[in-house]
Amino acid sequence: MTERALLRSAILIFWTFFWGLSVVDKVIPDVQFLWVGKDFFALFIKFFASLGLKDPLFATFALAGVSGLEAVNFALYLTALLSLRKDDETLTDTWFFRAILSSVALFSLFSIADQVFGDRFQLLEHGLFWLVLIASWMAFKHTPPAEIGSVSWSPTSAGRRVLISGGVLTALTAASIWNFSEATFAQASEPVAGEEVVEGVYKFDFPFLADKRVWETTVNTFMADHPELKVRYIYTGPSELNTKKKTHLLLYVFTEARQNQRGI
Amino acid sequence: MLKPLPTSVLVRYAILAYWTLFWLFNLIDKVVGGAHFLWVGRDRFAQFQKYFDSVGLDSPHVANAALAFAGALEAFAFVCFAAALGAEWKGHHASARRWSFFGTLLTLGTFTFFSIGDHWFGDRFELLEHTLFWFISLASWLIFIRMKPAASPAQKTPSPSTPSRAPQMRFGMTGAIAAVLVAVTATAIFRNNTSDFPLRSAAVSAEPVGDHLYKVAFPFLGGSTVFENTLAEFKAAHPKEAIQHIYTVPNPLRLKKADALVFYIITEDKP
Repeated sequence: MTERALLRSAILIFWTFFWGLSVVDKVIPDVQFLWVGKDFFALFIKFFASLGLKDPLFATFALAGVSGLEAVNFALYLTALLSLRKDDETLTDTWFFRAILSSVALFSLFSIADQVFGDRFQLLEHGLFWLVLIASWMAFKHTPPAEIGSVSWSPTSAGRRVLISGGVLTALTAASIWNFSEATFAQASEPVAGEEVVEGVYKFDFPFLADKRVWETTVNTFMADHPELKVRYIYTGPSELNTKKKTHLLLYVFTEARQNQRGI
Repeated sequence: MLKPLPTSVLVRYAILAYWTLFWLFNLIDKVVGGAHFLWVGRDRFAQFQKYFDSVGLDSPHVANAALAFAGALEAFAFVCFAAALGAEWKGHHASARRWSFFGTLLTLGTFTFFSIGDHWFGDRFELLEHTLFWFISLASWLIFIRMKPAASPAQKTPSPSTPSRAPQMRFGMTGAIAAVLVAVTATAIFRNNTSDFPLRSAAVSAEPVGDHLYKVAFPFLGGSTVFENTLAEFKAAHPKEAIQHIYTVPNPLRLKKADALVFYIITEDKP
């Protein structure tokens, strides 16, 4: 194997998966078992509605057109990858160039749409993808020639050291991941303990693993533990209250003493 | 006097050092796990667990296995770049090229693996992030192999016996300007610290803006401590009123970057 062949394979594999999975994402609608993806239909409907085109046909046609172009892109990258496997460099270059041209055209279309719909963040995102595609083509063309970059797989003493060190680090990392998982997984379901920070106001510092089920358990447990209190109001702490990156979610529960209905 | 290294050699070292440290710290982040004193990192286990849970795979072992696989790719990428850095230091440039190539292949593989996950779990921002890293890795290797390594001692050109004084003067002037700017900046920062650091915990006064309606405008340093102290002070100052609701002003209503957190306290009279 040569550096050229390996690097070209890596580039083609990346873009083949990229477009293949983009097509799968359009084929599988909404959230399913084993697939979440992104709901592009909802996104397109909202975009077109913002222009005053509320008929879903506009969004449907646009999405069908985009999906068609993505399918073409995928087919072009796959053909280039198969040509590379057959060691046909001219054919690989030709198909990869067609794939790049088609992908760049699609991202140009996306960028025009982003400007029309006023989505500047997506414009940056699509612009960066566009640039990476062009640059991938340059990198593909400028991989070192086959004659100067042969890769030797024969074992050397340095190679053995790298394998042993990598293996030890992998084992250490895996053991640490499993330990951490065992120590923290309960946080995905256990209620969070509240702390009274101001009279009648309780703070709940949610862990990163917590989701809506933890919220429900927490509120129910709190009410069961404090029958003398009535929850008046729950305030979700905005991100500005979090210590950057360290806090997942802060919740404040405002309570008041329950009135004794029987007047005892 | 020390002879300056050629720029191409420095760039080669910079590339290898960057990727070695990049993967070393990624690995440490996986080994440490969670936020501790002097280390926050990213809770990857929580991130992976939520991703897999969202597709119906809620067993922690699935997230652990995926994370361990990513950890293995990162561990080998780190070792390869460290080996390349060591070889470059010893002047074994062919070996440095070989190990940096393997490190780059592993890096490309890691980011391809991550980007497949991003499509699968619908995280488009991470897809962009991973695609950019994928490309940076590819580009940095192509730059690395085009930079000439350090020449052997026999090939080195002798330095001029009487070096010109002009470069030394330029160094001196640049150093003096930099020193003045560093002093001005550092003084401003320390003065800012003296005046603003108490804002990190001090309560903010609630300004009445209507009937039973109070506005609280946070300083940029404000966090949960300021929020709690503000509530305590507010309750003490308004013993006859009960907080009915807190309305956080959403971002579109704030004055772009000039406003930090702003919220309104709506109260009612206590019975």
